[in-house]
Amino acid sequence: MGIRQIAPLAAILAVLAGCAGSGGAIPVVDNGRPVSNEDLQTGAGRVTTATPVTDQRRDSGVVVMVPNAEGGSSQVESYPLDSQPALQTGSGVTSIPSSANSSSSSSNGSGGLQQDEQLDGPVLALLTTARQQEGNGDLNGANASLERAMRIAPREPQVLYRLAQVRLGQGDAAQAEQLAQRGLSYASGRPELQAGLWELVAQAREQQGDAAGAEQARQRAKVSS
Amino acid sequence: MAKKRKARSKKKASMKQRLGGWVLKLGLVGLVLLAALAMYLDAIVQEKFSGKRWSVPAKVFARPLELYAGQHLTHDDFLTELKALGYRPVNSVSGPGQMAVSGSQIDVYTRGFQFFEGTEPAQRVNVRFNGEQVASLSGSASLVMARLEPMMIGGIYPAHNEDRILVRLDQSPPYLVDSLVAVEDREFFQHFGVSPKGIARAMYVNLTSGSLRQGGSTLTQQLVKNFYLSSDRNIIRKGLEAMMAMLLELHYSKEEILEAYLNEVFLGQDGSRAIHGFGLASQYYFAQPLQELQLHQVALLVGMVKGASYYNPRRNPERATARRNLVIDLMAEQGMVSDEQAVQAKNKPLDVSAGGSMADTSYPAFMDLVKRQLRADYRDEDLTSEGLRIFTSLDPLLQHKAEEAVKTTLKRLGPAAEDVPLESAMVVSGAQTGEVLAVVGGSDPRFSGFNRALDASRPIGSLIKPAIYLTALEQADRYSLVTPIDDAPIELEAEPGKTWSPQNYGRQSHGLVPLYLALAKSYNQAAVRLGMDVGVDKVLNTVRRLGVEHDWPAYPSMLLGSGAMTPMQVSDMYQTLANGGFNTPLRSIRNVLTAQGEPLKRYPFEVRQRFDSASIFLTQEAMSHVMTEGTGRSAYNRVPSSVRLAGKTGTTNDLRDSWFAGFSDDLVAVAWVGRDDNGRTRLTGATGALQVWSTFMGEAHPQSLSAMPPGGIVKAWADPATGLGSDPSCVGSIEIPFKQGFEPLPGPGCRPVIDTEALQDGASKVLDTIRGWLR
Repeated sequence: MGIRQIAPLAAILAVLAGCAGSGGAIPVVDNGRPVSNEDLQTGAGRVTTATPVTDQRRDSGVVVMVPNAEGGSSQVESYPLDSQPALQTGSGVTSIPSSANSSSSSSNGSGGLQQDEQLDGPVLALLTTARQQEGNGDLNGANASLERAMRIAPREPQVLYRLAQVRLGQGDAAQAEQLAQRGLSYASGRPELQAGLWELVAQAREQQGDAAGAEQARQRAKVSS
Repeated sequence: MAKKRKARSKKKASMKQRLGGWVLKLGLVGLVLLAALAMYLDAIVQEKFSGKRWSVPAKVFARPLELYAGQHLTHDDFLTELKALGYRPVNSVSGPGQMAVSGSQIDVYTRGFQFFEGTEPAQRVNVRFNGEQVASLSGSASLVMARLEPMMIGGIYPAHNEDRILVRLDQSPPYLVDSLVAVEDREFFQHFGVSPKGIARAMYVNLTSGSLRQGGSTLTQQLVKNFYLSSDRNIIRKGLEAMMAMLLELHYSKEEILEAYLNEVFLGQDGSRAIHGFGLASQYYFAQPLQELQLHQVALLVGMVKGASYYNPRRNPERATARRNLVIDLMAEQGMVSDEQAVQAKNKPLDVSAGGSMADTSYPAFMDLVKRQLRADYRDEDLTSEGLRIFTSLDPLLQHKAEEAVKTTLKRLGPAAEDVPLESAMVVSGAQTGEVLAVVGGSDPRFSGFNRALDASRPIGSLIKPAIYLTALEQADRYSLVTPIDDAPIELEAEPGKTWSPQNYGRQSHGLVPLYLALAKSYNQAAVRLGMDVGVDKVLNTVRRLGVEHDWPAYPSMLLGSGAMTPMQVSDMYQTLANGGFNTPLRSIRNVLTAQGEPLKRYPFEVRQRFDSASIFLTQEAMSHVMTEGTGRSAYNRVPSSVRLAGKTGTTNDLRDSWFAGFSDDLVAVAWVGRDDNGRTRLTGATGALQVWSTFMGEAHPQSLSAMPPGGIVKAWADPATGLGSDPSCVGSIEIPFKQGFEPLPGPGCRPVIDTEALQDGASKVLDTIRGWLR
């Protein structure tokens, strides 16, 4: 067997070895995900490991920090007042829940919330979750959490208020106005909440270029408060 | 001569040499061809294995069941849901998928789930019940609410399709991998794709036993065969299979190959859907996630690898049991399980979920609705291959109750005529949310043909009437609930040149009746007169504002519902009435996640205020009188009278269509009963559809409609005979809501509270006596 015949054989072997990548000498690039096209961490949506439950109820009297005139921040009692000042900044995200009941709210005691404004556990927990999601910029998640709250308490105007607020933040002024209107239809006898809802209506109308309508809504807000 | 011989031998030698050269050359050509084939196969092997390995159909989920104190949920319904989700009863819960029932409380270890708005952890929850409510919830620290994972209600498949739920190797339950290797390929972790030892043993076994008991294929070969090659078998294919198996082993680890095998293997056929992989097989046969399977269940699935239809546990339970026990014996033989464990496992039933149970059921009518929505937003190939996860609003508990209501009522009513079956359809939606909760498309809810809930467009009859009364009540200066309406014969020009004189159902006129009662009793002549007064076009526009687009001509006959709607459209219309005048386009999908669990699309809650809440409240009040003293009365045979309901019956000409649409505070339900050939049914709205409706409502535990008036409503006493203000002291006067500013002035008292006549009598007697003395 001459060199003439060995050469092509060697070449073939080299090719074979090359494509087979024997012994790992020639790196094989595997572009695929380790498992498949479905992220298996979530399996078919399933979570395999138990994660610790976060204490959602921690801040049951959600206290909101808003900037005051002195440049510091002051605490504002919970719903429905919480997001009103925040709204005036236009972002609706300035209000952040503080972690615990602090002096101002506890000094107000339960008197700060009218009887009918005290929310149930699940609804409050979801409003808190939504606020956290909103704070993290996850407006879609906040929306979904608020809709979950709405399924539990469909007539709770505070849920509709927050939903309207988040939609406004998403730029859906038309729905924000409708949701605030719907909140108003369930808010009779709750003047502060009505004022907040009218203010939302005003902002939503402003965003839609309806200055006159916004002014009308502002008037209603004043009458209500 | 010698020379010649020499030459000959030389010639011979050169012949030999030449032959050798040819062989060598041929061999080389063969080698080159083989190398080319190997390269080609290698490309195939790598391409398919490294890319997206499988097309996974979109999975559709029902709503997750929420748990919180105060939730309206009965103990029994909760248990039904848990069973359908494959929760296993135990004495004390210790891991996901287990439940412990004791008295009025249920301990459950939820499985956890990835939702659109976040992850629900797997956790232990104790749920206590009190009547029709969750009394309390407790678990870790301060548990306020929890969610069960949603039931999977279907997938979106092309006509013939493989379906699978992908699992990772580390999600496989104990014994699965070991027993699979033991049964199918003992040398799996040692061989390089093909197993000469295995082949030899298989041959030996087959020879000694005289039958084909073992195949020599390795797991890798089996995977290659399923994954890359068509199903026909011949020696060339066998060669290709072996080569590809070796190539696969060169590139990928045993674990990767095993994982692919777990997801690829064929384990059953469900109609036109092929069940692939252990993940889906676990759901399909046991209604449980793979991780939770126990020894006897794992053994069954592993045994089925050999022949999924031959060992089908639903069709051939004896065969399947024998095979399962064989696998368990083998496991014991190899020391994977103790003899005691093996005996225990072999004594267990197959534990296959029963066909027809909630866990193993299909919702063709609802899925139809979901698909129509999805087709508007996604391409078919995305739906059938991208593994999307679609979260819907279907409530399997209400769906089951709606199906039962349809089935039992139709059975009770009997066929419409000889050989003509009655048909029915139903739609249930959330009154405040506009979410579709249940859809029944016909008398057989499993049949995925004509979906009457979405496609049967029928004249709605008196279901139109709330639109007439609402149109009137919007004009507070002209109409209140007690405005007298004349229920007297009326003759109209229906279409040019044709007169029309509508009749009441009882062929009787009732004279002046208060507006609310005219609706409650469904008087046709009063409704037509009122409709003509406010204007047919206005009424038809009210129908549009209620959420239903139509192109009905403004003929007077429209006032008695000669226009047609589908049950779904009627739901839309009544949902606006139930929802305080806010129209919400009915939704069946909440959101969509990608296969990776990333949010893809939301279908947000949207409302449009179409009517002021005061006008709607008055209309609801009139519709609640339908239930208390009108045509809907019989509903209270099944629903407690403490629950305030509102609704309307509908009956069409010659008793062809029987309708009922109504709502509680939380549910809007629409029922239709009729015939597919549009023939006569002999049923009115009250004797047909209302029976379906109230059977459903009787089981659904509806929440009482709020009687709390919205702003702009005041209550006043009025005389229903005249519509004028009255006083509580007057016989027959009623307290009824009015729009603020339009309530009548209180009438004079009819009688003092004390009986003055007697008093006056007494007084005059005394006076007479005194007078007598004076005389």
